[in-house]
Amino acid sequence: MKQLTIVLALLLGVVFSTTASKPGKEKEVKIKTSAVCDMCKERIEKNLTLSKGVSEAVLNLDDKVVTIKYNPKKTDEAALRKVITDTGYDADSQMCSKTAHDKLPECCQKGNDAHGHH
Amino acid sequence: MLLDTMLMQIKQMKISNLNIYLILLSCLLGGRVQAQRVTGMIYERNETGKKSALVGVNVFWGGTSLGTITDSLGKFDIARSAKTNRLIISYIGYKTDTIKVSAESNFDIIMKPEGQLGEVVVRGTSSQIDRLNPIQTEIITTKALAKAACCNLSESFETNASVSVSLSDGVTGAKQIQFLGLGGQYVQTNVENIPNIRGLGTTFGLNYIPGTWIQSIDIGKGAGSVVNGYESLTGAINVELVKPDAREKLYFNAYINNFGRGEVNFNVNKKLNERWSTGILSHASTLQTRVDNNGDGFLDMPLYTQLNAVNRWQYKSDKMMAQFGVKALYENRLGGQVGFRENMRGTSQAYGFGNTTRRVEFFSKTAKMYQDKPYKGLGFIVNGLNHTSDSYFGFSNYNARQQTLYANLIYQSIIDNTNHKFTTGLSYLLDDYNETYKDIHRMRTESVPGAFFEYTYNYLDKLTLVAGIRADAHNLFGAFVTPRLHLRWQPFEHTTLRVSAGRGQRTPNALAENYGYLVSQRWVRFVDELRPEVSWNYGASLTQTFHLFEKHWDVILDYYRTDFQNQLVADTDHADDLAAHLYFYNLKGKSFSNSFQAELNGLLSKRTEIKLAYRLFDVWQTMGQPVNDVRLMARMMIPRDRVLFNIGYTLPYDKWKADLTVQWNGKARINDPLQSLEATLDKKSMPILYSQPYTNVNAQVSRAFRKFEVYLGGENLLNFKQPNPIINAQDPFGKYFDAGQVWGPIVGRMVYAGIRIKVKD
Repeated sequence: MKQLTIVLALLLGVVFSTTASKPGKEKEVKIKTSAVCDMCKERIEKNLTLSKGVSEAVLNLDDKVVTIKYNPKKTDEAALRKVITDTGYDADSQMCSKTAHDKLPECCQKGNDAHGHH
Repeated sequence: MLLDTMLMQIKQMKISNLNIYLILLSCLLGGRVQAQRVTGMIYERNETGKKSALVGVNVFWGGTSLGTITDSLGKFDIARSAKTNRLIISYIGYKTDTIKVSAESNFDIIMKPEGQLGEVVVRGTSSQIDRLNPIQTEIITTKALAKAACCNLSESFETNASVSVSLSDGVTGAKQIQFLGLGGQYVQTNVENIPNIRGLGTTFGLNYIPGTWIQSIDIGKGAGSVVNGYESLTGAINVELVKPDAREKLYFNAYINNFGRGEVNFNVNKKLNERWSTGILSHASTLQTRVDNNGDGFLDMPLYTQLNAVNRWQYKSDKMMAQFGVKALYENRLGGQVGFRENMRGTSQAYGFGNTTRRVEFFSKTAKMYQDKPYKGLGFIVNGLNHTSDSYFGFSNYNARQQTLYANLIYQSIIDNTNHKFTTGLSYLLDDYNETYKDIHRMRTESVPGAFFEYTYNYLDKLTLVAGIRADAHNLFGAFVTPRLHLRWQPFEHTTLRVSAGRGQRTPNALAENYGYLVSQRWVRFVDELRPEVSWNYGASLTQTFHLFEKHWDVILDYYRTDFQNQLVADTDHADDLAAHLYFYNLKGKSFSNSFQAELNGLLSKRTEIKLAYRLFDVWQTMGQPVNDVRLMARMMIPRDRVLFNIGYTLPYDKWKADLTVQWNGKARINDPLQSLEATLDKKSMPILYSQPYTNVNAQVSRAFRKFEVYLGGENLLNFKQPNPIINAQDPFGKYFDAGQVWGPIVGRMVYAGIRIKVKD
């Protein structure tokens, strides 16, 4: 029983330590991308969310702007923009990485509008 | 034609969160004077981009029974409703759309086909009830599968309340499903709609499908569809494997636990061109550490090695879809006393168990599609397999071989419109068994041609009726008819009621299904010539959705009863001064199972998912016939009560995930050959013995990075171990040795860790 308590405490500890570090210190940034479809949205949000220091990334497909909440001690805007360009999308005026862009499925490449995607 | 349309604009818009594209044609004149009727055309867009009309699409006003369907040209015409302006367009196989109708009166609507699972990122709760399916079906998504990181199908039901899995004995590591109060052999377990875990595969089959190969699992409760055969007595489990055209190009998984069990899984999927794709799913695992934590001199789990792979090719075009592939499996198990080595086989130096299984399978599925008639289809499935399983339990050898050929030809179409659909076809099953256990030889060749017809009636989204019947001509047991009926009724938006009834039949494989009992010195006797098992299953369920603090919750209540007309009885209740017995005979009298389940699941907060379920099994069987002590007895090893609690916490994109499952299992009827012997000697009735209740706790944490994911978890964290899982362990060659009375965990706490690397496009 005692061991179980330790295991559970550890589990909960891990969860809370990741969620508790947010309030106050967090910054928010909005970056315009070249996302065209839901697959792009998923790809960008996922790569941002799983990057160091990011707690949340939400992309709005109507205006293609991604809103990122991050911890400025762990990352900065330049690093976040690089995540987007490395994923294959433009970040504001910064152009996407060409190799990453060319690897995207055809429907997600630039020049395709949203409804072209199945 | 073109003149009178006078289109002002064609506007392309996306309606709310439903992924359907609607082209709104607003008429210049219609905009001024509101018409009393709403008319329009409904299309789909095929792969070449051409529009084609959809016939029989349901068009109705939300929350009312006012509805119509599109005619043969795809046109609809419906009177306006005073109550609502929400027009709902639904069609099986397509995503349902809702349109807010204001002044416009003419619509052109393009429906979007339902995406394939896996292409779409499945959000929301991880286990879901399929709301539209007439059969009560729970879906375990990839998300729920990840909750139990380890390792194969037998471990995939940990967070599911309907299916539980337990060890069949204390030596072999074989696992059995419990479902609606009955064993796994009564559930038809399909892999992509091909009956798979059956026959000899029943023994270890759950270990033959690695978790990383699984895309999703559907659990259908009660009588299944007649399309897949007659063998689903209590339900049907369908496992969908990862497809060659999946978005994950590469998937590598490695796993290790504290006992030294190691696993690697490697999946590769490649799109060769527009039409062809191929995929390889592979698995290797092993345990080579001798573990005897309870000190009874027996390995708590067998040493084993498994190699398993499938290669599949897939072709997709507008007109045709085809896939074919091969599966191959090799598994070797070694168990028994700690000091046993393979070269001691057949000696009394130590008691040993061994099994070598080799299984080869091929499968092919071909479907012809009709571009202009998406409701129409013709499919052909063929599957063949060769399965050999060679085992020994001490001095007893058991060698078995199964060869199976299965073919199913399916045609699907509509009668007038898609509210009346039917599926019909022909099937053929060839099963050839050849088994030898000690001096018992059993051979059986079954050849069963069959035909089926299933009619589905849909009334909007409110009512679905499925009536199916099949007739099969069995070469050994004669012709028989299998009728089945399912009804789904959704009287209110958040309430779904289902009822079902149907017959099931199967030929039992006494030895393969009762493998665990063979790990004993029991005398095995076939008292009767075994007849097929026949049952009727009746069920009803209620699914109610509600919102609490703006969060979505589901309550599910269900009750199922299975009544056997004939059943194989495996009777281990008796022992005398000569031996402990294992009798196989046909049921004479009653045998039934009542299963009741109540489940609540939902979201506590945006990121916290919770599930609480209670299940009651009331299962009885008439036994004792060979010793003239006929009584209705509780079925062995089935705990009457079970409670399941699961809580999961997930950050977006699974950056962090934590999961905790608590299962409480009530007592189950067991027996003990020594006490049976005592009763026989004292000329008393057989004693009724029960196991003790126990709690099992599992937990897991995982962290996702951009390119990979790591996980750490524990099973049986309370470290519960069944006391004396092996009866007479100190004398394994004695008359009353029995390792088949296992009801709980043997090995105690287990901790594991692993990594998953995925490459997506």
